[in-house]
Amino acid sequence: MRTRCHFLHFVLVCLAMCPFSPAWADDGDNAYRLGRGYAVGDTGLRLGGYAAIQTALPQHRAWSFEVNDLSLFLTWDNGGRFHFFSELEAGDLLSAGEHQSLGVQNVHFEFERCYLDTLINNYLSVRLGKYLSPIGQWNSIHAAPLVWTSSRPVATENLFSTHGTGLMLYGSATFAQHLLEYSIYGDASNSLDVHRSENPFENAAGGHIRYFVSDALQIGASYANFTLNEHAPARSHLAGLDLAWRYHRYELSSELVYRNSQHASKPHTWQGFVQSAIPLTQQWYAISRYEFFQQQQDRTGQVGLLGLAYRPIPPLTWKLEYRLGSHNSALAADGFTASFAILF
Amino acid sequence: MIRIAYRLLIILMLAAFPARAEDALAVIMAADTPLNTISLAELKLIYLRKNQIDAQGNRWIPLNLPVNDPLRRRFSLTLFSLLPEAQDDYWNVQYFNGINPPKVMGSEEAVLRFVATTQGSIAYVRQQSVDPRVKVLRLMK
Repeated sequence: MRTRCHFLHFVLVCLAMCPFSPAWADDGDNAYRLGRGYAVGDTGLRLGGYAAIQTALPQHRAWSFEVNDLSLFLTWDNGGRFHFFSELEAGDLLSAGEHQSLGVQNVHFEFERCYLDTLINNYLSVRLGKYLSPIGQWNSIHAAPLVWTSSRPVATENLFSTHGTGLMLYGSATFAQHLLEYSIYGDASNSLDVHRSENPFENAAGGHIRYFVSDALQIGASYANFTLNEHAPARSHLAGLDLAWRYHRYELSSELVYRNSQHASKPHTWQGFVQSAIPLTQQWYAISRYEFFQQQQDRTGQVGLLGLAYRPIPPLTWKLEYRLGSHNSALAADGFTASFAILF
Repeated sequence: MIRIAYRLLIILMLAAFPARAEDALAVIMAADTPLNTISLAELKLIYLRKNQIDAQGNRWIPLNLPVNDPLRRRFSLTLFSLLPEAQDDYWNVQYFNGINPPKVMGSEEAVLRFVATTQGSIAYVRQQSVDPRVKVLRLMK
């Protein structure tokens, strides 16, 4: 009850601040600004995070309401070579449904990310800790206020672990007058991550590159070799391609992944999606997405999504979407989803 | 009479549309920096926080003026072809990854003072505001 009161208080404060706060217009370092966090004096510490509330009305299933994310960021950067970042997530903080009254019975806490970065030079940094798997683009920016839909494309999470724990080398360089970013990682979640995420790696190695063809167009490629922590672990190879094009607030993005597993019942699995966001007015966007996903227990699923997103200011988004598809009930069921998300 | 009215009209028009050219923007660092010039491509990477360490091994500290300052808006348009508010989506993603946008100073004088005394800091001011405390690396029209 006390948790619920605190959360409601927090939401009310955020909602009250959003459209009217003078701090929104002032990006001075000492002023709090929505979506930039709160700097703790000159300590180099910054506190922030994001929150999301979602309600789903799937066809032939029970409705649900949940505060599905409350993530708190803690960043430390004192201008030197070291940089610390952590994200502590409270999932399903408050939930209710057709067969469940409003309560905190499903709440769970997890360190989504926790790492120390060491800047060696402009081409190389070393990251040690728990990070988001650099496979595709969606997984690296999956926070509800940063993506256009409440539901996540199956291809961005189904065939691999969304987190890794271990060592990552990353950096960027200019290639043919355009920026090329890379990351290479080795994961040992089995030994290092005591609080495992859902569907974690046992161990993994892989990399991702992203090339900025122009200011508007980025293309990326991923590779990973891994074993998932599951009932019948199998060594898998995964390759992926991703693309993002943004021009005058129009957006087109796509990801494609292929996984080959040595012992799985379906050794070759393809999944992918293509999504567009079209500005209707300064603050309203029309969203559409097509996705397909081969799956272990059923024929290839296909889903179409149509939605609306309202962004009165960039750190705050309201979303409404409808999904309809075939062979999709297990991974991306038909129905309406609505959500509100805020970066604070 | 008509001639006087005509002259007055010309004077009023000149007063309404001053012909003074806009000052160039000067990209500056501390006067003792060993750097003598900087390319637009490098400057862009520094202001996007993609390039974080200078040749001497110091962290770059890019500075901005407030969002509504006309100088900031000119700088943003010249460097990125975007107004500052159009970069919000970019900085939201960076913030999610623990990277903050350039530090913001309240005035050109504050910028000059900070740059003059802080290694690795880089900023922009009007060309006419430049003084011996700083070195000009580039002029942007």
